[in-house]
Amino acid sequence: MRNPALVTSSLLALLLALQGTPTAHAQDVGDMRVFGSMQSLFMHQYSYSEINIPEAQLSLQEKESRNSFAIQQLDFFFDKPIDDAFNAFVDLEFQLNYSSEKRWGSLSIQEAWLNYSYNDAVNLKVGLLFPAFNQYNEVKNRLAVLPFIFRPMVYERLLAQRFLTEDFIPEHAYVQFSGWIPTRNLMLDYAVYVGNSEASYITRNHPDGGIDTDLNPNFEFLSGVDPTDINLKLFGARIGLRSPGERFRGGLSFTRDANNMRERFGAQKPYFSEEAIRLMPDDAERYRFGLDLSHKHGDFLIEGEIIKVVYDLGKAERKLDLSLEQSFVYTLVGYELHERLFSFVSAQWGDYSFGLDADYFTGTAGIAWKWRDDITAKAQWVMYTERMENLVNDDGVRYGQNTRLHFILLGLSVLL
Amino acid sequence: MNIGRKIVHRAMLAALLLCAPLALRAQMVVITHASVPVKSISVRELLDVYTLNQSRWDDGTRITVVDVKSGKGRDAFFEYIGMSPEEMQRIWLRKQFTGKARPPRSVGSEEDVVDLVAATEGAIGYVNERALKSGKSVRIIARFK
Amino acid sequence: MSYWNAASRRTERALAALLLYLLGAGPLTAQEAETNLFGSLQAIFFTQKSRITLNTPLPDGTTTLTEERNSFAIQQLDIFLQRQIDDNFSAFVDMEYQLNYSSEHRWGSMSLQEAWLQYSHSDAFNVKLGLLYPAFNHLNEIKNRLALLPYIFRPGVYERLLSNLYRSEDYIPEHAFVQLSGAVPSGDFFWDWAVYVGNAEDSYISRTDADGNIRQDMDRKFEFLSGVDPTNADLKLIGGRTGFRSRTEHFKVGLSFTHDYDNLRDTTRYPMFFTRPRAEFRGDARRMRLGADLSGSVGGVRFEGEFINVFYDYDLADQAGFDMNLTFAHGMLGYWFTDKLFTYGSAEFGTGTFDKGWSHSSLSFGASYLLNSAISAKAQFIVHEQRHDEDEDRAMLKFVFLGLSVLL
Repeated sequence: MRNPALVTSSLLALLLALQGTPTAHAQDVGDMRVFGSMQSLFMHQYSYSEINIPEAQLSLQEKESRNSFAIQQLDFFFDKPIDDAFNAFVDLEFQLNYSSEKRWGSLSIQEAWLNYSYNDAVNLKVGLLFPAFNQYNEVKNRLAVLPFIFRPMVYERLLAQRFLTEDFIPEHAYVQFSGWIPTRNLMLDYAVYVGNSEASYITRNHPDGGIDTDLNPNFEFLSGVDPTDINLKLFGARIGLRSPGERFRGGLSFTRDANNMRERFGAQKPYFSEEAIRLMPDDAERYRFGLDLSHKHGDFLIEGEIIKVVYDLGKAERKLDLSLEQSFVYTLVGYELHERLFSFVSAQWGDYSFGLDADYFTGTAGIAWKWRDDITAKAQWVMYTERMENLVNDDGVRYGQNTRLHFILLGLSVLL
Repeated sequence: MNIGRKIVHRAMLAALLLCAPLALRAQMVVITHASVPVKSISVRELLDVYTLNQSRWDDGTRITVVDVKSGKGRDAFFEYIGMSPEEMQRIWLRKQFTGKARPPRSVGSEEDVVDLVAATEGAIGYVNERALKSGKSVRIIARFK
Repeated sequence: MSYWNAASRRTERALAALLLYLLGAGPLTAQEAETNLFGSLQAIFFTQKSRITLNTPLPDGTTTLTEERNSFAIQQLDIFLQRQIDDNFSAFVDMEYQLNYSSEHRWGSMSLQEAWLQYSHSDAFNVKLGLLYPAFNHLNEIKNRLALLPYIFRPGVYERLLSNLYRSEDYIPEHAFVQLSGAVPSGDFFWDWAVYVGNAEDSYISRTDADGNIRQDMDRKFEFLSGVDPTNADLKLIGGRTGFRSRTEHFKVGLSFTHDYDNLRDTTRYPMFFTRPRAEFRGDARRMRLGADLSGSVGGVRFEGEFINVFYDYDLADQAGFDMNLTFAHGMLGYWFTDKLFTYGSAEFGTGTFDKGWSHSSLSFGASYLLNSAISAKAQFIVHEQRHDEDEDRAMLKFVFLGLSVLL
């Protein structure tokens, strides 16, 4: 004979037990999440260049305009929580209508790491990773979560052919300790990391087969690996403070690595005496110092970064008083017109003085409208200028060049 | 008399048993979620829905098309709308592989169809009428055999 | 039944219902975003017999060159990602690998073929933004969806394996970036329409050369990005298609049109058998494509046909009396012997690029058999011929393909 009371109370007990059972979804331990983001754009570019040759009192101008559609970037992310302490993450990135057949754009693994999390204060990340440097380095390619189509200069991959970003920021690292520690009303962030030498050292495939390297080619049989020894590797760290709610963030960053002077030299030999060339090191120690600040006050956002890069040129510096330094400053003021509409203006300066004298300026303004939770429409105007003095052509004639690029960019960012 | 009644009853029972296969093949229904603003649907409209050419109801709700993986009911439905299952599969694949539409949600049994349609706004499916359970709120918008 | 039993039964039912709710059988809405990852691959084995017959002997006296080869290959692998973001928005990505792709060995290719966001106001009005296959004739939107096609070797202008033999970009608009489209019900039919814009043709687009420098043919000075279009608005692609389709999808007909420009500076990629001196034209030749497509099924019989005419409007060619126009026609007739077995024969003809004397034609027979809902086995025999009527040179390629197509 059935006991109704027993049945009822069993059901109740089961019910209560199940109250705490989370709904199954892809974030569950053991499930890999595959997701992505893409940003497509329409770009109008107006370019102007002026070359001045003082000796000949000559000035030459070039003008050009163009329009293009493109898939600026598409990322596939793979996120796998392995257990309570370990998780793995991969970022596969396509740029600019990637096609290997037509040689458009690029495809690369941007991140692929395993993270061990002991607690919030101690995390160890091992693998290809974006190291913590200033504010944007860890999220520099996450266009879906940034209001930009065109990022701050040192992070903008579209400028990679014009602006040597690897001088200003540590692009990748391989081992990073990091964490945050609560202190009174703030959180203290820290990170220390180590990685390969800069990208220009890394061996690459030669178009005719074989491996290309600027260093000793006698033992080269792998591409994508670092042929240098330990003293040229990247070491870096960041320490920062963050308020709860993240309305305030600030930090100091530091790296030490080496600059591959062979590549730079090839292009700049005309600027230096033979003695300077003889004394210049092939590998110049490089120190980057970074400062980042970000403050959200009401609907306003103010943020900025400063990067100073100094080099040790060894005997060339001591004997001939030669110096190589680079600076970058970025400022942004943003305003949330509406919870889904963000506007911003930004000004950025960079300079490079080594033989030739070059500086860069970018002024930009834009808006980002969150059309849906997963879709953002963006518009941005950019003015990018380069000023170079003391250039030398093959015939030894000195000249200066000013270049101005105006962009009007319309973009659509989608979370996949 | 009693014997006569018994014979009649047995004959009726035998007839019922003989008719049972006909009864099993009998009434198929097209069902939708209770919120769907449609009281009846023509064959042509049903075809548009199942070929994924019509993606919304008149009130703008997206249509979730439910299909059953196999069975006599499936065969009867496709015969009703004048398409073979293989043709439909080709149409669905083409739409899926060009990103034009998601393929129908395919479930294992007619009971699953009822559960899914009852639980999903905008959903439409087809089942044998006997698969409808009390307590499941669905609307019948077409009948066929 | 006692009151207690009835009451307890009601309680049990209520508890059971609540249990089911908590177990996640709560109401689902069509608005929940779903991401689907799926794909297809086609593996092939083929034998190729090639023969070139020359009217004028080579210096060593040879008039005939022959060759035979066999190969296995992964002809194509596609990974698709589709996301229904909400009732109005969906996203789609197609990542394609071809021919045993390896960057290390420099085999094959890998590319983004499609990556777009679609806004769907209604079935009659949709807007697609991003890298997309525009609607042109019947096959352009599905040209790389080998899993949906009975072919291993597609009709010539769509067949990527032939892209070095003649230039597909002259015949079809390969990609666009903004497309408005829809299907409007009209009696027993749908009226399909589409209009689109895109970049200039592929040969204009800047590319990375072997030394890592960015190159394009237009002598532009401000090059620092590959994969972007260095031209102005006037060289861009615009196009459209209008057509009718029966509600049962048993019949489809349409007319297509595009307007863009041909990059005549691109002197590095002539069709493979092109031997004559090329006419000395450089510049941008205005081009209009007209397409017509007809396809349908009657019982087990399936027929498909396409016609493409490409008209050029280029003063220098007109002055030299040079006819640059191109033609391509394709027809296929097939039959479903059973639900699983489809056989077909097809023929195609086209005129050559840059030299009116060259023409190409193909005859093909094949079959595809559905082993199950995800796997089909295919076989195809093709004779492809290129000939020059004046020089009387001929190239003949015979293929036998065996293929296996799998839905992932």
